[in-house]
Amino acid sequence: MNIIETKNLVKTYSGFTAVSGINLHIPKGEVYGFLGPNGAGKSTTMKMFLGLVKPTSGSFTIDGKKYPGNRIEILKETGSFIEAPAFYGNLSGEENLEIICKILGLPKSSVSEALELTGLTQFGKRLAKKYSLGMKQRLGLASALIGKPPVLILDEPTNGLDPAGIHEIRMLIRSLPEKYGCTVLVSSHLLSEIELMAGNIGILNRGHLLFEGTLEELRQDASAKGYPADNLEEMFLAMIDEDNRKRGAVI
Amino acid sequence: MNICLEYKKVKRTGFIQLFLCGAILAAVVPVVNMVFRTEMYTSIHNTPVQILLGANWQLMAMFNVLVIVTGTCLLYHIEYDNNSIQKLKSLPITESQVFLGKAALSVIMYMSVLVIEAGAVIFCSCHWFVTGDGFWKELCQNFIYSFIMGLPCIALSLLVSEACKNMWMSFGIGVVCVFTALILPEKPFFLSLFPFAMPFKMLAGTKHVINYIYASAAWIAVTSLAELLLIKIRRSFE
Repeated sequence: MNIIETKNLVKTYSGFTAVSGINLHIPKGEVYGFLGPNGAGKSTTMKMFLGLVKPTSGSFTIDGKKYPGNRIEILKETGSFIEAPAFYGNLSGEENLEIICKILGLPKSSVSEALELTGLTQFGKRLAKKYSLGMKQRLGLASALIGKPPVLILDEPTNGLDPAGIHEIRMLIRSLPEKYGCTVLVSSHLLSEIELMAGNIGILNRGHLLFEGTLEELRQDASAKGYPADNLEEMFLAMIDEDNRKRGAVI
Repeated sequence: MNICLEYKKVKRTGFIQLFLCGAILAAVVPVVNMVFRTEMYTSIHNTPVQILLGANWQLMAMFNVLVIVTGTCLLYHIEYDNNSIQKLKSLPITESQVFLGKAALSVIMYMSVLVIEAGAVIFCSCHWFVTGDGFWKELCQNFIYSFIMGLPCIALSLLVSEACKNMWMSFGIGVVCVFTALILPEKPFFLSLFPFAMPFKMLAGTKHVINYIYASAAWIAVTSLAELLLIKIRRSFE
């Protein structure tokens, strides 16, 4: 069963098409990797799911709820982290999460749970503006994870983290479906990263969905098309390169 | 609930202190004036409230309007700084609910400012004048009227702050509006309905009192509609 489905989703900005009629199928209770180079349209798609960007055409449903009619209901069960961490610098990490907690109507205990999940417990009382980049990233993640929502949308969640932090967050994301039954949509421009977290992937380039399926299916598809199937990174780059050439892009 | 949320958000921004300082400064005006010109004012044959407000209200209102402009700028500055507005938009709360929460907090703060100022008027009246039977009624009527006159200014200032991502932009617009209000003539009547000029109106000595109350309600309705329109327009460009 798919928890997120899109139907010919399009977003254009004055002549430039950021997302071009994509049809995504994200299965429930899985980590879905959204892959593509910078400017592929990953963030725009995720922003459309959250109602931050208005689709030009097409539609999507999240957990059976259609946008835009059920926007608030969708947001009630979607945790998100888009691009850069957003927070109130004048408040501590804990107070930032308390605000979200109040809006979502969650018990106060969910604040400490979210801080613990992201390893911020000991920095909870520190002002968010005094956090390091990695800590701000963790706070952003905590604000997405708070209340363990059924759907999580994470846009490049490991940006700015040190190698140990990246590993820790990867493990956390991978464990979420099993631990809490969440569905995670996570984006990255690195296949090597997605490979370690996601079971299903969608590859996006210049607003077009090039592939959707499991990693095994990607390997089979790639070898059938003559791409190097033994190295996923090379396969991904070859796919993007081929697509760019087809569309006449300057690389 | 939204007021509590907004109250929580303004922690450590100086928002509360700003209103308190503004209120104290405005409250000091009648006291200082009375200390230095005691004989001049005590010789006037009128009620204490009318004498005190007539002599000091323009300066007190000036402090009030400047505090409103700065406070509302601050309320939206915390949303745009560090992009917290984006997180807010991805939560199950509408932008109009956020606006309403901020408006309610500003109104409560404005009310507190007026209470402090009323306290100063009470002190001056009891200390330098003889308060008659109708003193309390007159005082309440005057400050309730001043409260109503301040509402359009709060609503419009908040709308400007929401529309401008840069705090200096909204603050600049606010300050220009305050000085425009100061130079606007009383006639024709519609010019005196400028929202930033309305807090300078006093109940005593003002003609068309009821018209100003209707105008205040009309401004609040217009600003609310403009707020909904702003959200719609901004969303269509995102």
